[in-house]
Amino acid sequence: MMQGFLLGLANGTTCLAYCIPVLVPFLLQEGRNVRQNLVTMLKFLGGRLGGYVIFGLVAWATGNMLVAAANHQGLVIGTAYVGLSVLLLVAVLRKPVPTPGACAVRGAQTTFSRWPALLPVGMGFLAGLRICPPLLLAFADAANTRTLAGSLILFLTFFLGSSIYFVPLSFLGTWAHVSDLRLVGRFAAVIVAVYYLFSGILLFAGGV
Amino acid sequence: MAALTVPARSPRLAVWKALLIFAPMVLITLFLWVPKFTTGDPLITIVVALTWITFSALFFLMLITGKTHRYRSILFILVAISLPIEFIPWMIKTYGSMALTNEIMYSGGASFCPLTMPMVIVPALLKRVVIFPGELLPTGAHGAFAVMFIIWVGATLSLGRGWCSWGCFYGGWDEFFSRLRKKPLIKHQQIDRRWIYLPFGILLAIVLLSAITFAPIYCEWLCPFKIVTEFQAPATILAIIQIAIFIVLFIALVIVLPLLSKRRIQCGLFCPFGAMQSFFNKLNIFGVRIDPDKCSECELCLHTCPTFSLDEGSLASGKPLITCTKCAQCIDTCPKNAISYHIKGTPLKASPAVARVLYLYPAYILLLSLSGETVAPALLRILKLITTGSLL
Repeated sequence: MMQGFLLGLANGTTCLAYCIPVLVPFLLQEGRNVRQNLVTMLKFLGGRLGGYVIFGLVAWATGNMLVAAANHQGLVIGTAYVGLSVLLLVAVLRKPVPTPGACAVRGAQTTFSRWPALLPVGMGFLAGLRICPPLLLAFADAANTRTLAGSLILFLTFFLGSSIYFVPLSFLGTWAHVSDLRLVGRFAAVIVAVYYLFSGILLFAGGV
Repeated sequence: MAALTVPARSPRLAVWKALLIFAPMVLITLFLWVPKFTTGDPLITIVVALTWITFSALFFLMLITGKTHRYRSILFILVAISLPIEFIPWMIKTYGSMALTNEIMYSGGASFCPLTMPMVIVPALLKRVVIFPGELLPTGAHGAFAVMFIIWVGATLSLGRGWCSWGCFYGGWDEFFSRLRKKPLIKHQQIDRRWIYLPFGILLAIVLLSAITFAPIYCEWLCPFKIVTEFQAPATILAIIQIAIFIVLFIALVIVLPLLSKRRIQCGLFCPFGAMQSFFNKLNIFGVRIDPDKCSECELCLHTCPTFSLDEGSLASGKPLITCTKCAQCIDTCPKNAISYHIKGTPLKASPAVARVLYLYPAYILLLSLSGETVAPALLRILKLITTGSLL
């Protein structure tokens, strides 16, 4: 158990760095206070845990096979990038009234306004699916445990160890009263979304 | 209405006063330019002297007429337009083309640009890595990180976002196009004020993305000035897409929109480096202030500010937004002389003329230093073109 936790603790800053480009613009554009941000962060981390559980299962089922398969990695990360960009764009677009955009956007807006937790959970899930270097380390360790329970526990403890670093991001809410920051966050979210969309498409295409 | 009765004081200086202020600047700049004068090549000496005399004359006019923006703008545009005249032939002579191959970049051959600063700071602090394929110390390339960093720190401390109107060697491009038409086709009121937050959004996005990708994202994807300096060789589809983006952004943000709106669109609504410099405006001792006793609220300054740094709130608070580039266009335009340079912490009515001179000294030295690296060499290249038929 300690192995996964320590691995998460040692590499948590890298996990955070990989999630920050999505999280910071998202939290800023939401413009919520520290407590609300903490709740959002828990939802995000819950989604991320879901992503890790899937990895734990895959690691147990495939041994080290998936880690070595570069094509699969590209597909998984590409999907995660495209998914993240779509969710970020929805997060930005669901705010303005009257509703701009096509029917699909309006449909997504309705869905996300009905279940507001979906957005951070979805982002966390997709962020958890991106294969970052610390996750690869955990993946290799989990594959060596040979049992489903062992693999899942390793990913769970890895998740707990790395999640500690995410908590301070909630304090972005101390500037929630600065309305200008929401606008800055929205512009940044759109740019990050476009970047991830483009990167995701490139990964699908296998590079240009 | 009381404000209308306050007589406007002329910002003009008496000749003897202007000469007194001008003399130390002559000595300082001559001292700085001694190595440039004494190269032994008479053609270089003539070109350097011509540049120095032009810049000094315009600075003297700035002092004596009290019109800062009018003469600053000429010098600023000269520097910007000279840069590619000097830089592109240098690239062609050194690397054979404006396009940088992977080999050149791996060997650190790219010239360091100050616009990269927001992206390199975080990785440099966290990982001690400079994420730009340029030199750390000056050897052969045009700009080395260490030199640019020192210039940037010095200029930022002394000018804040004044860098964007006095020290940036790109800003003159959209200033040039924004001055070509007499009246704007896109009026000030037609531009949504919320766009002024876009540079801050770009800044946030590129800082975060560059920190995780260890690549200068803005230089790779968004910099319009790549097409007048250097860019990655179009060897892949990705590189071709990047070059296409640079061209579109240059045409849209630097030529068309400034031409139509008479605003510096790239500087005011896009540049993330400018957004970063805005924060340093808070640290800088120089600012621009509006005297409420003199202001007649004619809003002429709002309509002319090229970087959208003035709004109704500015008139009420007596100061521009943090995005002010201290270009002095509002100061020159104000019919009541209600707007002036100001030293923070001093009373509003404490001599604005002194604040102006104290600000103009470092600002002009920076501009003249840039001209030594751009205008004089560009002039030399033009003379070479006339005499030999080649810019190289």
